[in-house]
Amino acid sequence: MNKFKKFGSKFLEALGQPFVAILISLGIGAIIIGLSGKDILASYGVMLKGAFGDGYYLSATLQRSTALIMGGLAVCIAWRSGYEAMGGEGQMIFGALVSALISYYMPGPGVLKILVGLAGASLVGAVYSVLSGWLWEKFNVTFIISTLMLNYIANYIASYLTTYIVKDPQSRDINSIQTGKLIEEARFGKVGGLFQSEGLKNTPLGLYFKDFNVHWGFFFSLICAVLVYILLKKTKFGYQSKMNGLNSRFALYGGINAHRMLYLVMILSGIAAGLGGAFEVYGSKYRYIDQMIFSTGYAWSGMVGALLANFDPFGTVLACILLAGLNTGGSAMQRSAGIPVETVNMLEGIIMLLMSVKLLHLIVIRHKVRREDRKKTEELIKNGKEAEA
Amino acid sequence: MNLSLNYLASVFNSTLRYMTPILLVCLCAGVCSKARVFNIGLEGTLLMSAFFAFLTQYFTRNIVLAVLVGMITGMAGTFIIAFFIVKLNGEPMIVGMAVNKFAQGLTTFLLQMIFHTKGTVSDTSMKGLTKVTIPGIKDIPVIGTMFGNLTVVDYLAFALSIIMFIVMYRTVIGFRIRCIGINPEAASSLGIRVPTYQIISTTLSGSFIGLAGCLLSLGSVTMFMQNISAARGYVALAANNLCFGHPIGALASSALFGFTTALAQVLQNSALKQQLLNCIPYISTILAMAVFNYANARKRRK
Amino acid sequence: MTEKIFEMRHIDKLYGSLLANDDVSIHLNQGEILCLVGENGAGKSTIMKILYGLEPPTDGEIYVKGEKVHFHTPSDAMAKGIGMVQQHFMLFENMTVAENIVFKNEIRNGLFMDRKRTIETVKALSEKYGLKIDPEAKIEDCPVGLRQRVEILKILYQSAEIIIFDEPSAVLTPLEVESLLDTIKSLAASGKSIVLITHKLQEVMAVADRIYVMRAGQVVAERLRSETDTNELAYLMVGHHPALRDISAPKPGEVLLESKKLSLHYEGRDILKDIDLHVNAGEVVGIAGVSGNGQTELELCLTGLQKPTGGQVFLMGKDVTNASVKEHREGGLAYISEDRYLWGSAGEGSLAENVLMAKENRAEFNRHGFLNQAAINNYTKELIRRFNVKAGDTDQKIRELSGGNAQKLITAREIMMDTPVLICCEPTRGIDIGAMEFIHDQILEKREQGCGVLLVSSELSEIMTLSDRIYVLFEGKIAGEFKRGSIDEKELGMVMLGGKRE
Repeated sequence: MNKFKKFGSKFLEALGQPFVAILISLGIGAIIIGLSGKDILASYGVMLKGAFGDGYYLSATLQRSTALIMGGLAVCIAWRSGYEAMGGEGQMIFGALVSALISYYMPGPGVLKILVGLAGASLVGAVYSVLSGWLWEKFNVTFIISTLMLNYIANYIASYLTTYIVKDPQSRDINSIQTGKLIEEARFGKVGGLFQSEGLKNTPLGLYFKDFNVHWGFFFSLICAVLVYILLKKTKFGYQSKMNGLNSRFALYGGINAHRMLYLVMILSGIAAGLGGAFEVYGSKYRYIDQMIFSTGYAWSGMVGALLANFDPFGTVLACILLAGLNTGGSAMQRSAGIPVETVNMLEGIIMLLMSVKLLHLIVIRHKVRREDRKKTEELIKNGKEAEA
Repeated sequence: MNLSLNYLASVFNSTLRYMTPILLVCLCAGVCSKARVFNIGLEGTLLMSAFFAFLTQYFTRNIVLAVLVGMITGMAGTFIIAFFIVKLNGEPMIVGMAVNKFAQGLTTFLLQMIFHTKGTVSDTSMKGLTKVTIPGIKDIPVIGTMFGNLTVVDYLAFALSIIMFIVMYRTVIGFRIRCIGINPEAASSLGIRVPTYQIISTTLSGSFIGLAGCLLSLGSVTMFMQNISAARGYVALAANNLCFGHPIGALASSALFGFTTALAQVLQNSALKQQLLNCIPYISTILAMAVFNYANARKRRK
Repeated sequence: MTEKIFEMRHIDKLYGSLLANDDVSIHLNQGEILCLVGENGAGKSTIMKILYGLEPPTDGEIYVKGEKVHFHTPSDAMAKGIGMVQQHFMLFENMTVAENIVFKNEIRNGLFMDRKRTIETVKALSEKYGLKIDPEAKIEDCPVGLRQRVEILKILYQSAEIIIFDEPSAVLTPLEVESLLDTIKSLAASGKSIVLITHKLQEVMAVADRIYVMRAGQVVAERLRSETDTNELAYLMVGHHPALRDISAPKPGEVLLESKKLSLHYEGRDILKDIDLHVNAGEVVGIAGVSGNGQTELELCLTGLQKPTGGQVFLMGKDVTNASVKEHREGGLAYISEDRYLWGSAGEGSLAENVLMAKENRAEFNRHGFLNQAAINNYTKELIRRFNVKAGDTDQKIRELSGGNAQKLITAREIMMDTPVLICCEPTRGIDIGAMEFIHDQILEKREQGCGVLLVSSELSEIMTLSDRIYVLFEGKIAGEFKRGSIDEKELGMVMLGGKRE
């Protein structure tokens, strides 16, 4: 029973904070909607429907969440180890660009195109991530400066390449800055038709999933989340990286090789982000389009997701799906109520701000501790002041 | 000869114009770092200031009011950051990034709600900050170019770096702020309300960001576009790193980044394409940090 | 004549579930030097922190000059003329001495600092009390003794009448201690009232007028100096006569740890210079010295955390000068760091995670890179039981343990490494007597097993009791090597200061 209670309180502690943060930010969102003269409940209704309302919308949300999850996992790996790197965006850009190029130009069967493309995306993501690690270790350039600058640089370089060097040869339109479209065989397939057997077809479940159609990338990202979970929670590497994050001196003292740790972490998180970019290409866009990562803010939403989940891989998946839902729902809201989808960006900022402080701790736990302290004091004084040292 | 001199003069002039926003933000970053408030929300604060200053000018056509609104926005942004970090014990990194993200969302949101566009807003009938023309200088060929086209706020920025030096290093209040930054525990053991000092000093310095915002949206061009701050807040953070938060040093370090931005501008007609030129300020920021830190570490090791 | 300048009545102070002060009633007379003595954790610092407004009392009353007061912050206390020289100096490193002294009551000229008058005032103040300082020197260039002088002047500048010293001699060299005691006496002679918190009885006998003895949060005795002696005070402090340890004669074996001409050069200074030392099997070797004479760097160099710039280190006969920490540990070295929170543990990590450190490669916990959580938890529970650590579950965070219990767990981890060499640095700093005796037992047990122990400590009595051989470190050099019994505490103190044996 006691064990159950303890588990319960732990569960509450892990979920309470993000729950409160999301609730408050939705409240602020309601104020914004109200101020712009729209019906709050109706708008949120549209939003909910547009995010998870039926199989079609759910698919859109899950597909969107793919890149978020990968970006979030990259942040989990790096931040948990004490490296507050924010270079996911740049790594994703190059991951997307490189995979799109490889799969477009490389001859061979579609599967091979995809596999080599994924390998290329991993490699370029890892290299770009290691670059910021190297700048930090060798030259003491802080991650915040190096990764943010590298994000901008990546976006401009990708933009330059797609404009002048690897522009889609088929395109006649000067304004479409993109690479060539991948052939059918070099794209991710889709999973659909769930619960559509004769018996289930007309049940609510079957009707909900009628238009469900999600590309493999999403499922790959789930597999990645499982792998990252095992890596971080069950292995020696996970232990060592966590200790490095909690107290890097302690890690050194215990004989953990800081140099190796830094680069391993950077490589792994770079791979995750790079793959995120590639999944977006193979699953949704089938090419690299200028600004496709930069303007959507996938990496940043992924980071918010990881923060919400306190860097737990499974929590990150849930949070990212929720954040993607906010966005697809936001688009629906924009279509029907004319409220810009950017509202969601604002809400994400507010969620982040609220997650930066130990909200629950501030409100609930502090009062509880005070109350318990007072009770204990009274007891002690009553009981002849026996100290239990 | 005369042409190339003129050319250099115009590079000098662009450097001045590009450096002042960075300088102003860097001055704020300096106060923050001296008061031990790790502020990386400069970028978002700058973006919001630029937007609200522009908005005010758009609707009221009152430049003084616009600048004032910009300054208040800067102060409000910095206040939120300082309050969350100092009073609520928030993780500074996350607080700063949150404000940056919020600013991005807010400005695009309002841009759409008010101007129904996602990109750029400008109105040719709108007037920006008052340009200063120093009589006599204007007509001297080279020098006239060097100091042409500068606004009141540009000059104010240079003056502020000297004023901030005096405030931080000569007055009682600056002395206390610096002491608090060195050892907040010691200051509070003597009964100084450290959080109050931290929050008020950083909030006031947030007005510099407001001025920088005005320079962006109401300076040499009067327009607002999505993400107009273009990482200047982060560059200023790097600049502040280079000068150790010293207001006079900030002149030098922001001049460096002003120059690299000007360089990208100057090279526009060369063989290098625009996208690559745009990278120059970011690459030079990383390079400057690396070289500076590396040299510093080597010096210390000896 | 003897006017009570302050009085504290029935003070209780509770930290969590620990009663740090239990019905403490004390008072101080005008112009008197009062000593509060007691072992670490007896509650003597706590009661003064309450008086100084740093901690609110849980219960009880405070009167200053007959008037009931409630202090919420130190500045409340300061306004009533109470000042405190704390154990950890509260100074601004990059500022000058004068600036440090005038902070908060700056001498101003409108909005501006008046530098000239500041320096003059500070100079005048230092001359008035005979405390020599250079007002324009930077604090970072001042040695510890001078820093303490700045702290005292700071309080005098605030025109305090009651001055509290919290373990002022802990950081000082014996010579500096003497001058400090003179200062205290002359301050009292000039009419200031003084409270001295200490556990060093010689100091008490040298300056005190009256003495309170504290034990386990309570005042157990009040004595006038004239009617007591160090023996009685020691008995009162500990509650029993301290047991003398029976230590067998050393049976030194082969050399396990050795350094040859070990040097460290940094920022243009020699931190360590030509250190030759060796630790044999079956002996405890002490490194004595005033803190800051290179002990920290020595331990870092010997454990592989810092690469020396010159010389060599041999562990079990192998050259490990440039080896990694891992190679050191695998080569047979365990290491208790001088700072249990900075180096020795991860405060936010669980007990199990802290215990696992440096053992994560062992086959019992690690199968092909995967950790066996059940085995780790069992092992942690066993350590907690065997080393008598007061702790909850294995997933409790280590920062939630008391200092003594955290140190016990860290000691347990390192001793259970089962290595031939153990380096322990300040193993008992800031922990209670029970835990201290326990850790001392463990160190001696290790010696009995034929291991070599290098003990670095700034606590002379610890060095004197445990070590078979003592090296004295002074300004990064070995200033002397002594066998057990060949030197007494006073002589050792002289060598620690760079003097020769008399």
